[in-house]
Amino acid sequence: MKQLIKLKVNGVVEEVFIEPWWSLAYVLREVLNLTGTKVGCETGNCGTCTVLVDGKVVKSCLLLAPKANRKEIVTIEGLTGKDGGLHPLQEAFIEHFAVQCGYCTPGMIMAAKALLDENPNSTEEEVRVALSGNLCRCTGYVKIVEAVLAAEEKIRIGG
Amino acid sequence: MAGFQVLGKSVTRVDALEKVTGKAVYCTDIKLPRMLYTKVLRSPYPHAKIISIDTTKAEQLPGVKCVITGKDVPQKKYGSVVRDASTLAQGVVRSVGEPVAAVAAETIEAAEEALELIDIKYDQLPTVFDPEEAASTKPPVIIHPDLFNYEPASSFFKLERLQDFDRPNVITHFKIRRGDVEKGFQESDLVMENRFTTARIQHCALELQVALVQPETDGSLKIWISLTMMHPARREFSRLFDLPVDKVRTIQPYVGGSFGRSSTRSEIPIAVTLALKTGRPVKHVFTREEVFYRAGNRIPFIIDIKDGVKRDGTLVAREMNIILGGGGSAEFTVGLVARNCAFGAVGTYRIPHFKLDSRGVYTNNPIATGFRGLGSPELLFAIESHMDMLAEKLGIDPVEIRRKNILREGEANVTGEITHSIGAEECLSRTAEWIKLSEKPEADGVWRRGKGIALSNKYTLAPSTASARVEITEDEGIVIYHGAEEVGQGAHTVMAQIVAEEFGVSIDKVKTAPNDTLHTPFDSGAYSSRQTYWSGNAVRLACQDAKRQLFEKVGQSLGVSPDDLEIREGLVYAKGMPDKKTRIAEVCGSFSNGKIVGNGTYIQEFAAEDPGTGQIDPKLAAEGKRLNTSYAYSSKAVEVAVNIETGEVRVLRCATTDDMGFPINPKMCEQQAEGGLGMGIGIGIYEEVLLKEGVITNPNFTDYRMPTVHEMPATDNVEVMFAPAPHKDGPYGAKGFSEGAMGGMEPAIANAVYNAVGIRIKDLPITAEKVLKALKEKGAS
Repeated sequence: MKQLIKLKVNGVVEEVFIEPWWSLAYVLREVLNLTGTKVGCETGNCGTCTVLVDGKVVKSCLLLAPKANRKEIVTIEGLTGKDGGLHPLQEAFIEHFAVQCGYCTPGMIMAAKALLDENPNSTEEEVRVALSGNLCRCTGYVKIVEAVLAAEEKIRIGG
Repeated sequence: MAGFQVLGKSVTRVDALEKVTGKAVYCTDIKLPRMLYTKVLRSPYPHAKIISIDTTKAEQLPGVKCVITGKDVPQKKYGSVVRDASTLAQGVVRSVGEPVAAVAAETIEAAEEALELIDIKYDQLPTVFDPEEAASTKPPVIIHPDLFNYEPASSFFKLERLQDFDRPNVITHFKIRRGDVEKGFQESDLVMENRFTTARIQHCALELQVALVQPETDGSLKIWISLTMMHPARREFSRLFDLPVDKVRTIQPYVGGSFGRSSTRSEIPIAVTLALKTGRPVKHVFTREEVFYRAGNRIPFIIDIKDGVKRDGTLVAREMNIILGGGGSAEFTVGLVARNCAFGAVGTYRIPHFKLDSRGVYTNNPIATGFRGLGSPELLFAIESHMDMLAEKLGIDPVEIRRKNILREGEANVTGEITHSIGAEECLSRTAEWIKLSEKPEADGVWRRGKGIALSNKYTLAPSTASARVEITEDEGIVIYHGAEEVGQGAHTVMAQIVAEEFGVSIDKVKTAPNDTLHTPFDSGAYSSRQTYWSGNAVRLACQDAKRQLFEKVGQSLGVSPDDLEIREGLVYAKGMPDKKTRIAEVCGSFSNGKIVGNGTYIQEFAAEDPGTGQIDPKLAAEGKRLNTSYAYSSKAVEVAVNIETGEVRVLRCATTDDMGFPINPKMCEQQAEGGLGMGIGIGIYEEVLLKEGVITNPNFTDYRMPTVHEMPATDNVEVMFAPAPHKDGPYGAKGFSEGAMGGMEPAIANAVYNAVGIRIKDLPITAEKVLKALKEKGAS
C-alpha cells in the first residue's frame, strides 16, 4: 500500500506516493528524475548517493523514504543558482581538475558542502575526514581535496 | 612544445560542467517509456550439470512479462578471444554467478520475486580452483572438453598456434624465446629465482554496469552501453543475433569508470533476447555483488622468475613462467592478457638471453578479465622486486642496477623490436632524485620507515583502427565526430584540443558529437591506452582533410597557393599578408550542404610476432615495423611506515615520473598519474577478492577494501613529474599512458617495506597479517 510523503527538494515542495521500502535515493532518481544523485553500492559505502537532509550529510540509499517525510533535501541539482551560476565547490572542482569519470562527483560535492556550510576554515585533515565516506576510483583523491580547499578559500574571500 | 596555442595547455575538461552539475547522463540514469526491468538467476555452484529448470510459477507471477533460459537465447557462443561463453547456461555451469535464467517484469520487485519461483535442479561436478593444478597436464577436471574445437573471435588470434594440447585447461600459451637462457645462466655470476603472486582485484568503477536495449519497429536494436569498445561490441551483437551490423546501434553515454571492466559484456545479449521477445525496452542494472561476479576481476598471476646477472649488475638471462588463473569462461584471460602481459617484461631492459612462457587457464572460479595494464603491472611486480633483490645481493644501488640495463633508443628489445621513444632513464633519475634512497628515514616508535623505487613500462597494443570526421558549419562552428570513448580519462577533451589547435580557435568553439554508432565513425575503443595515439591521429587527419578543401577554395579566390594559407579564429589568411583573408563563413556556402567535411582514418602497418618465439621478423623490424604501437614509461617511489606490532603498512609519501611522449593536457595527465598512485596503493596493500570454493566472500564495498581518501598521502606528499620522450608517429609526439600510470606502484611499495623492516613480501597484497607473520618468522630465526 503506497503512502504519501511530503518533501522539500531543492526548495520545491514535492508530494510523492511511495512504497514504504523505497529509499530516498530511489525516490529522488526514479520518481523525481533527479538523476544527479547516483547509486553505486546500496550499502552506504560508496557515497555516490550523498545528499543533504536538513543540512546533514546522508547516504540517500540507506534512508528509507518515509523517514524523509517533511524533511528538506538538497541534491547536486540544487547547488546551481537559478541564473545557472555555479556554487564555489562546483567552480573549484572544474578549475582544479577534480572531475574524471564524474560518477562520484555529485556525492563528493555534497559531502564537501556540508563541511563548508559548517566550517569554511577546515584544514586538509578535516576535509579528508569529511570525504571519508565517499569513494573515488579515478583520481587518487588528490585533486578533490585540493578543490575543496580552494572552494573554501573562495567562500572566505567572497563572504 | 613551442608554438602551440591549445595543445600542451591544461584546458578545462569539456565534460566537467555537466559532471559537476549532475547533468551528465550515464546509462543508469536512462528510463524509456514502457521499459521492463530485468533480473538474472545465477548459478550458486562452481561446476554443475543442470538437470531441470521449471519456470512455470515465475511466468504466472503478476507483472512478469517474460522468463528465458538457455533454450531461448542464441546458440552461438561468444567471447573476446575464444568463443566459449553462452548467453545463458547450456546444460552446464562452470562458475558461481554464471547466468542460467532471466526475467523481464514491470517492476524490479516482480522480477526479483520471480527469480525465487524458478526451480532449477543441479548435479554438482568435480571442480578445480587452483590455477596451477588446473594448468597441469593431468588436471582433476577438464572445464571445457570442446575447447580445441571452439572458434577464435578474430583472425588476430591464431588459436591452433596458441593452444597447448598437452594441458586441456590452458586456453592459450604465449612464448618468447631469445638467445639461450641456459647458456646465459652459466655465464652469470649470480643466479636467483623466486615466485611472486598477485591477487584478484575488482575494478571498482563506481557506476554499476547496465544493459539497456530498445527493439525498433524495423527489427533493429538500439543498445545503450555502460562499457567501452562500443564498435567492436556492436559487431559481436550483430553476429550473435544474425542482424546486419547497421541494424545494431550502440550508444554510449558517459561511462562511470572503466579500468578494463568493460571487456566483459555478458549480460547485454540477455537483455537483447528479452527485448526481442517482449517487443519492449529492457533494462538490467547490476547490483554491486553482480559486478564482483560478472564484470570480471583482475586475473590472479603466479609468476616464477629466474635471473642471471654479472657481478656489476648487467642482466645476462631471464626466464619467466607465468600462470593466469581465469574463470569458467575465457573473457580476456586468454589471448589478450596471457600474450600481452609479456610485454611488461619486454619494454624496459636489455637482456641477451630471455625465455618466457605464459599460460591462461580455466578454473571454476568466477570470471577474470582485463584490468588496467593488461598484465604488465603484474609482471613488473615480480621484475622490479627482483631487481632490488639482485641489487642487494650484489651490493649495488637499486637505481644503478636499473639504469645499467635500460634499453637505448634504436636497440632491439627481447622480441627483436627496435626501441623508440624511451623516457625510462629520465623517469628513473627524476624519481630517484625526489626519494633520495640513501637518506634512510628515522623510525618513529613502533613505526619503521623505508623507501622504495620501481621502474615500469606499458605498451599500447597494435594493430587497431580509428576514424574521425570534422564538420565546419556556416556559422563557423566545428563539430567533431569520433569514436574515442570518454570513460573519465579525458578522451573527449584531448580530441577537442587537437581540433581547436588545428583550426586556431578556442576549445569552446568545438562541439563533440555524442558516441553513437549511427553518427560516430569506427574506432576500436578505449583499451590499452590507445586513444590519444590512434584516435588523436585520426582526428588530426580529419582536420587536415577539411583544411585542405578549405584552402583550395580560398586559394582560388585569393589567388594564392593553398600551401601559403593559414587559419586562425575563423579566418583564412595568406601567410605574411594579413590583408589577404577570407572568413570561413563566406566559403562554406559553396560546399555541398553548406559545410566543409573532413575525414580521417588512421591505419598503421605492424608486424605480427612468430608464435613459436615471440620474435618480430628482423627484416620487418629493420624497416621500422613494430609489434606494439608505443611504450609509455613510469618510475614510482614511495616512503612507507610499517608498524612492527601490528604489521600495518602506510604510504607516507609517493611520487611518479611519467613519459607520455607529449602531455596534450598536463593537468589531465596529472589526473591519470595520481589516480594510478591511488589504485597502486590499493592493489599493493589492501585489495583482494577473496574466494572460498569458487564463492566470493567479500563481494561488496564493506568487506572489499578499496582505498578511501585516508589511504592516500596528504596532497603535499604526492608528487607528479613528467619526462616525455616524443614518439615519431604519435600526434604531436604523444603516446598513451593511463595504464602505465599505475604500473610499478606494487613493487615500489614492496621494496619500501623491505627497506623499512627487512622482510620481502612476494604475494600481493602486502597486508598487515602477512607483514606481521613475516616479522615474527624473522624474529624467530
